[in-house]
Amino acid sequence: MKKFMILLLALAMSTFIFTGCGDSNRNTSQTEDSASDETADAAEEEPAADAESEESEAAEEESAAVDLSILYEEDDSMINNYSLLAVNPDAPFVDANGESVSDVAINTAGAKALTDWMLSEEAKTAAADFGFEEYGEHLFYVIEDGPSSEAEIPVATDETKNIRMSTTTSVNDSGLLTYLIPMFEEAYGYTVEIFSAGTGKAIANAEFGNADLIMVHSESQEKEFVDAGFSMVLDGYESERLTFLYNYFVLCGPSSDPAEVASAPSVLDAFKLIADGKYPFVSRGDESGTHTMEVSLWPEDLGITTDAASVEDYTDWYVFSNAGMGTCLTMAEEKGAYILSDKATFLTFKENNGVME
Amino acid sequence: MRTAFFQAIELVFSGNRQLINIIQVTMRMSLSSSLVALLLGVPLGALLGTISWKGKGILVIINRTLMGLPPVVCGLICYLLFSGVGPLRHLGLLFTVEGMIIAQVILLTPLIIGNMESHVSDISPAIRETAKGLRLSTAKTVLLLMNESQYQIFASYLLGLGRSLAEVGAVSMVGGAIAFKTNVMSTAIMNYTNMGNFTIALALGIILLVIALVLNIITALIQWRLRR
Repeated sequence: MKKFMILLLALAMSTFIFTGCGDSNRNTSQTEDSASDETADAAEEEPAADAESEESEAAEEESAAVDLSILYEEDDSMINNYSLLAVNPDAPFVDANGESVSDVAINTAGAKALTDWMLSEEAKTAAADFGFEEYGEHLFYVIEDGPSSEAEIPVATDETKNIRMSTTTSVNDSGLLTYLIPMFEEAYGYTVEIFSAGTGKAIANAEFGNADLIMVHSESQEKEFVDAGFSMVLDGYESERLTFLYNYFVLCGPSSDPAEVASAPSVLDAFKLIADGKYPFVSRGDESGTHTMEVSLWPEDLGITTDAASVEDYTDWYVFSNAGMGTCLTMAEEKGAYILSDKATFLTFKENNGVME
Repeated sequence: MRTAFFQAIELVFSGNRQLINIIQVTMRMSLSSSLVALLLGVPLGALLGTISWKGKGILVIINRTLMGLPPVVCGLICYLLFSGVGPLRHLGLLFTVEGMIIAQVILLTPLIIGNMESHVSDISPAIRETAKGLRLSTAKTVLLLMNESQYQIFASYLLGLGRSLAEVGAVSMVGGAIAFKTNVMSTAIMNYTNMGNFTIALALGIILLVIALVLNIITALIQWRLRR
């Protein structure tokens, strides 16, 4: 009896899955004619599934492509610099009780190997070419007179094999690291473990002794990290902060541009227009590099900082989302809001019709 | 929804290396953590259900509180313990599957203890009577108790397994969702959602549900065999 019931359950489930699959075949082949059909279908599904089916339909039909556009870009004040910082094994690490900890295991040799490789001609060329074929635009640029390395990279040993890299979501979500790192791993036998979070969290992770090097994009937060003694100058380099890659932050919004930021004389004016007109704006709200940049662009008298309490009075138009770049872009698209994004993530988002691969 | 169904099937048959790794890590983590929690929880729960000691009520209340321990709190405590500056740093457990298993065991064991305790305290008077009447040895009484609790043990195991498959707060903090190392189904779904890629996230969710279904069918079959 029990066996019979289990079989019945399995049968019901597989029927459910297969009919679902068959449906999708039928509907995709009929495309536009069945649009009304599809909306009727969608209405029958649960409310939570509704947004989803709209989302996938938007991805299917070209006419429903992303409306969010770059409205303001390539301003000198909008440069987005990426730096590599090696973690100092003798840094003043403290545990959760504030007591100092001296024997934190940091793989400095591994961090140096990866840094040397990232600053080599090979990696720089690869980074500059990344995404050019797909998007027709450079996602990242190499700083011409930035630090570079011709040092010979040692092959991994058992002790130096595992490199822990703490990085920001923008370099990871745009696919840059998943494109670069395998080249390094295959050539020299290292394993790079990438922990990706907003710059604030990525740095905190390193301060807890859980990373050998970091790659972030927030000058003020990097300087604090260096000043606190958490970073070190690697052999053959002049500075703790090895700023080698950049791209631009872009101000995006609905293509109709109700705040008319596209014609603003400077990015600060553009942000002032948004604030004055109280047009919806989506903020990362997660102390990431993008968030730090954004709060520096608002008119000073608004007093907007990375602290959520500072935007308490602006909740009618300012969305403090505390989410990743992709989620925020989706949110801005849905709400017809303005948003600050790094160009690489935005182009990836736009190219995939609101879906990030 | 339909696109996601389609994509889920496509993903499974494409033999995507990353997906295979995610499934392997998920299985390793859920199966071992739920088994360890079962081995710890069943004896402890049975003990708690049978003893008649004054402080029992307090223990039960403590256990019930731990049953409601928020996963993120458990994850945070494990993160701080295993961290490079934490007291257990020499074990090197942060961002490893072993670390995730420990966090899961901390979450699952109270659930299984609580489940067993409520069942055993229900049936233990009757078992005691029977054992007295038949003059059974302690070992045999325990066997009898276990035999009577069989259904409950399976139910507890499935509860633990389901929870460990679905859990995201603790594993993302302790595991760090590192690709090809500690990324499991639930954290991968979260990552894709954060990237705004809802279709793949939903497709992974469907695959996760199918895995849960298969595991449940297997457990149900074992249970059915044992009962026969």
